[in-house]
Amino acid sequence: MTVFDKLKKIFSPGKRHRRQVPFVVLFKTFQGLLEKNNKILDAIAAMGDKLGGDYVFDKNYIVSSCQEMRDLVYKLIYDLDTIAPSKYLGLYDAFQRINHEIEEELAGRPVIAQADCVIPFETISRDSGDVVGGKIANLAEVHNILGLPAPEGFVITTTAFKAFMEYNKIWDRIREQPFTVKAGQEVRALVEQGSLPPDLKRALQKTIEQLQPAAGDKKLLLAIRSSAWGEDGIHTFAGQFKSFLNQPVEKLVQAYKEVIGSAYSPSAIEYRRSKGISEDEVAMAVGCQLTIDAKVSGVLYTLDPTTPERDVMVINAVWGLGMPLVSGQVPGDRYLLNRTPPHEVEGLNVRHKVSMLAPKEGGGTEELSVPEELQMKPCLEREEMLRLAELALVIERYFKKPQDIEWALDKKNQFIILQTRPLNLQTQMANLVCNLTETVQEYPVIFRGQGNIAQRGVGAGQVVIVKDDEDMEDFPAGAILVGKYTSPRLAKAVPKASGILTDVGSPTGHMATIAREFRVPTIVNVGEATKILRPGQEITVDAEENVVYDGRVKELCYYEFTEEPFEESYEYRLISRVLKKIAPLNLLNPHDKNFAPEGCRTFHDITRFVHEKAVEELLDLEFHERSMGAPAKKLKLSIPLGLVVIDMGGGLEESAEGPEVEPDQVISLPLKATLDGMISPGMWSTEPVSVDLGSFMSSLTRTFSSSLATPKYLGQNLAMISKEYMNLSLRLGYHFNIIDAYISDKVNDNYAYFRFLGGVTDLQRRSRRARLLAELLEAHDFRVDVRGDLVVGRIKKLDTARMLLKMKTLGHLVAFTRQLDVTMTSDAEVENSKETFDRLTAGAIPERN
Amino acid sequence: MSEDRKTQVLILDDEPIVWKRVKPALEKAGYEVEAFSQSSNAMRRVGEKDFDVVVTDLKMEGIDGMAFLTEVKKRSPRTEVIVITGFATMETAKESFQKGVFDFLAKPFKRGELLEIVKKAEAKVRQKEEK
Repeated sequence: MTVFDKLKKIFSPGKRHRRQVPFVVLFKTFQGLLEKNNKILDAIAAMGDKLGGDYVFDKNYIVSSCQEMRDLVYKLIYDLDTIAPSKYLGLYDAFQRINHEIEEELAGRPVIAQADCVIPFETISRDSGDVVGGKIANLAEVHNILGLPAPEGFVITTTAFKAFMEYNKIWDRIREQPFTVKAGQEVRALVEQGSLPPDLKRALQKTIEQLQPAAGDKKLLLAIRSSAWGEDGIHTFAGQFKSFLNQPVEKLVQAYKEVIGSAYSPSAIEYRRSKGISEDEVAMAVGCQLTIDAKVSGVLYTLDPTTPERDVMVINAVWGLGMPLVSGQVPGDRYLLNRTPPHEVEGLNVRHKVSMLAPKEGGGTEELSVPEELQMKPCLEREEMLRLAELALVIERYFKKPQDIEWALDKKNQFIILQTRPLNLQTQMANLVCNLTETVQEYPVIFRGQGNIAQRGVGAGQVVIVKDDEDMEDFPAGAILVGKYTSPRLAKAVPKASGILTDVGSPTGHMATIAREFRVPTIVNVGEATKILRPGQEITVDAEENVVYDGRVKELCYYEFTEEPFEESYEYRLISRVLKKIAPLNLLNPHDKNFAPEGCRTFHDITRFVHEKAVEELLDLEFHERSMGAPAKKLKLSIPLGLVVIDMGGGLEESAEGPEVEPDQVISLPLKATLDGMISPGMWSTEPVSVDLGSFMSSLTRTFSSSLATPKYLGQNLAMISKEYMNLSLRLGYHFNIIDAYISDKVNDNYAYFRFLGGVTDLQRRSRRARLLAELLEAHDFRVDVRGDLVVGRIKKLDTARMLLKMKTLGHLVAFTRQLDVTMTSDAEVENSKETFDRLTAGAIPERN
Repeated sequence: MSEDRKTQVLILDDEPIVWKRVKPALEKAGYEVEAFSQSSNAMRRVGEKDFDVVVTDLKMEGIDGMAFLTEVKKRSPRTEVIVITGFATMETAKESFQKGVFDFLAKPFKRGELLEIVKKAEAKVRQKEEK
């Protein structure tokens, strides 16, 4: 018999009053709603897991998961509608809206948000490729995600391009078939004569004004470059489109038109024809970058395409601007550097450099002669080569392909990345890895199948074992980060690491999120990585197959280059796109205006909203007038918990009449034990926790009120009970806590479920608290699942006495951790808290079984 | 795995992403792998060459996985067949193919899980050879 059936029995007919919906129906609905709530959250997490790369899935999986999710969410809304008829009809609209977007994605019609015509570089996100073009999207990732220096500026988007073509009525000409070179010529002329739509003109004006301070008191000068849709992705269109250097603002519009016109040059049309790209797929974004007054410029290939087996990178460099080198007019210096730190120089070919290109004051460029003492001098010093090599490999590791990078060294001696695109070396690579199996077998395996993959990929480097409190600034680029925990403190080192191994940790934790962000191959929970590996030891982390090799297995790294990165696969992109409509939680604070059906942007939002409102409805007085027979009673406790109890049968003594009830009148087994735990001496700390400035600010930015215990919050705690059952919804401080348990003498039916989420203060403290909770739960035999700062613990099938001990422990935990996120100021605090907890429970829990 | 000859594996799935992700894992583990998304090509290939292990989807667009695997077993009874299929079709798959199929794996699966099954199938093939 399930819990459900039992409850149904308890609520057998006989208590009917003049309410519209019988309480038994309402309760059953609520119960179903909670079940769906948990199912949805689990399903969201399960879909998110697929991004890690451990799983093989196909499109069918994505489609059926979305279907399942959609059905659950719809039923969830329906449940709330049963509890509060017609009160939240807006949810159906929200559901339709989100579901429609998901269906469009699945049907292959990506929902591109109507983007602005002009977007500053710093606000470009990873998925803006469609509107900013491939080249700028790559560069923006390098700057906005990897944090590497790139020129400031903005992009005139593909939205602007379409508006321009529309405004000047050029589309019709383009759609004429067949599209000949002559038609291209006509289109170019039309573009040339065209004028900017007023909106675009205004947006440009505004953006230029905002950019001016970056140029200081100097004239604003821009490099204007094509960034076509799909350029620098699968198709490089290398050198097909026009670009202009050092243009004054007055010439921007003219240059813009010439760049987009170059999309219809004979060579571009021919290129598209050969690649099967249709003319109406053309969408040209144009990047406008602040001119870099370069001392040296050049191109770097992270792997020499002519001799990939040598494992060297190639740098070509000239004095001044890089245009003459890029266009092939001058050869420039050529340096070969070993790809492995410390990047020994393996070849130095210094050319005689007589002239150089330099930006002219006021705009344009000029050719200057190179001072004699520089003509035979290498453009880069050894130290500069080293810095450049490290930067380049950070980019390669991120994009998981050898890269072709355009760079400049400015007068302040800072390297600036101008452009990066994948080098296509598929064929060369295939030869290098043909005997992979034999080669790999020569390397000793240190770990195999130990730990969990958090981010796939392969990385090789020297082991650096980090302590929790070490400064991460000095982490050597390209090394393998080995740590005990997945501490958020390590985050700083992540972009520089070739790979990450940790002794403990969860593949869905915070660290894993960061590793995924930077695509650094990561295996967590390896066990004894810090003990077995030696600092300085060269290892290869194969986070594809979950193997760690002794030595640098270059063949494996090369093998990676030959594969399509998982992140670039259609399925990966599709699941990430649909997840955006499903997983993010935007509704955080129930007191926000935004906390409404209209504010729901994802299925997670809807789920959160429905749960909150369902609990609220059950706490609502009117509701209890409507559904008499199950009166809500306030529990009188020695701690300020503000708990409302709804007895569904046998949970309270029959003598418990009136609006308040004493703790000793509670019969419900799970509730009694939980309360016991909560009020154990010392657990419910009565000392007010001082909120330091950091967390105070953090709480403000999350728009919570700064007080930790407003009466409003205290009113949000509800226990639905019967003799054997309890569903406890708590909102303490700022986190949500659910405990659901059933305990009887039938061992096989017994279970307890604990869920903990949210909280004031920054992510670092919250994830420390999650770690603490997880470790404490595990120490008490719970099966634990941590996802970010969500902690779920489950236990089942213990005998009554042991179940009750577990409930008491949960009571302890609830009381003990209610404000812990505020105190979690350091990692050491986690250990301290664990000890305190153990000390407190030692007296309260007679024995560990 | 014997020293002289690599174990030969064929993968058939009409969703290229499946074998794209599986093939490298098997190759790195020392298998020689051929992958197909069209059953006609895979069918032709098994006519030319005996594979030790065949991994195939069951329900594919325009492809009858059952016919394919029947053909494989007919041509080369020593070959072990592993069926990978969507979770929903798992039960039907198990009922209709219990005979002759070495094992089943529901999609989505972890790459390590498939590798384990392939290893077991390989061991069985080797065992049969030794007899």
